[in-house]
Amino acid sequence: MRVRVDPDVCQGHTLCALAAPEVFLLREEDGHSYVVGEEVPPSMEEAVRKAVATCPEGAISIEG
Amino acid sequence: MADERVVVAFDQHSPDYKAGFPEIGHPMRSKCPVAWSEENGGYWVVTGRELIGQLAKRPDLLSNDHDPTGKRRGYRGITIPAPEGRTTRGGFLEMDPPEQLEYRRVLNPFLSPAAIERWRPMVSELSEACLDEVVESGELDFVDDLANVVPAVLTMGLLGLPLLDWVHYCEPAHATVYTPPQSPDYPRVIDLSIQMAFRLAGELERVKADPRPGMVGALVEAQRADPETFNDEDLVGTLLLLIGGGFDTTTALTSHALHWLDTRPGERRRLLEEPGLLDTATEEFVRFATPAQGGGRTITTDCEVGGHRFGAGDRVWMAYGLANHDPDAFFDPDEIVLDRFPNRHAAFGLGVHRCIGSNLARMSFKTMVVEALRRVPDYRVRQDGVVRYEDIGTINGYRHLPASFTPGRRQGPPLDEVIGRWQRTLDGEQA
Ligand code: SF4
Repeated sequence: MRVRVDPDVCQGHTLCALAAPEVFLLREEDGHSYVVGEEVPPSMEEAVRKAVATCPEGAISIEG
Repeated sequence: MADERVVVAFDQHSPDYKAGFPEIGHPMRSKCPVAWSEENGGYWVVTGRELIGQLAKRPDLLSNDHDPTGKRRGYRGITIPAPEGRTTRGGFLEMDPPEQLEYRRVLNPFLSPAAIERWRPMVSELSEACLDEVVESGELDFVDDLANVVPAVLTMGLLGLPLLDWVHYCEPAHATVYTPPQSPDYPRVIDLSIQMAFRLAGELERVKADPRPGMVGALVEAQRADPETFNDEDLVGTLLLLIGGGFDTTTALTSHALHWLDTRPGERRRLLEEPGLLDTATEEFVRFATPAQGGGRTITTDCEVGGHRFGAGDRVWMAYGLANHDPDAFFDPDEIVLDRFPNRHAAFGLGVHRCIGSNLARMSFKTMVVEALRRVPDYRVRQDGVVRYEDIGTINGYRHLPASFTPGRRQGPPLDEVIGRWQRTLDGEQA
């Protein structure tokens, strides 16, 4: 599974980091989210799916 | 399609709204996620979670601009109805991108999760000190004695203004929100808010002459680089906005949570004991109560969004509070489910105008609630003394939430001493 955060859509709600803190980091300057790495380890796929479902802006997309 | 619109009798400032929230949204939403009300000059009310998200993502179609003197398009800003007699706009919340983004760029660094962490020790000590002030008496008012104080002092700190000055801003910050225009107290409250604006204008001048760290200092610095975007009038509007946002919303959230927990000792224990529960519960209290109930917008051009047509100049109220109870987006929407997750609530707003202080609000809310549950664990709300805001259409707040509890022992110094110590610490960091 691969994961992306669309920086133009993300508004820094930080709920993704609550769902999967190992995958989503929050930028120091504005609290917007970025991913540690696009490739998601299988053990974290479930958490990443939760993050997709909870992002209020629909900024996170997954593939595979 | 104007003739097909669903017309409802709706006014978020009415007693019916206060008595009926959140259920009042269900019959409207089931007819249509956006309905038309003839009140307040006529406006659309958006109650569907999906549609509100689609609209919030179109700052090209929805404007927040407030232009009371008709310099631009004469739009009426984010309050429906627009307040009378105002000649200035409410900071960057009543601006559109790109101007609005300029302001957020200056202020964002103060409000990121990392930046907020710095303030946590102060917030804990303030919460402890607030409870210390009352713990020996066995009686408190969660609003006056805790939830009004901590966010206010914290906001002063972020702005870089004298911490003890919170008292000057406290009453006007809340009273301007809860006092309806027809109240006999209204003229006095307007007077207070004018004094507050003058005081802030004075602070601005002081910081210009003697630069200080903090948000005021950063705005003054931005003004040096771009005096047009960061003009004095909009800076004062912005400071009023930051004080309103910083003082009033977290207070409302904390009161709602402590009121709900009144009859639920088991849930109080769970919140203190179950790891992670406080995080999801915080989002759930925010969703359920939605302190900032909604926001007004103006449609910039004839358009269709989500299959609904809007006309240029139409007023729209984004009913975030009602959208947060949309059964299509939340199971059992009118229940508080402490471990609800995912929770795509819109309580901080959505899109470019999303609440800039959400991380601050979460941190101070959690700290105050945990401290209250620890220090007055057996509190019971005195229901006859509970006073909610007369009008909840702007902020769903409480004026009073009194409670009794088994008296305990003071553990630390008086509140003013704690505030004074933090002031010296902050001044020292700056020296
Ligand atoms: S939840 Fe969505 S909007 Fe919020 S930080 Fe994560 S990606 Fe951004």
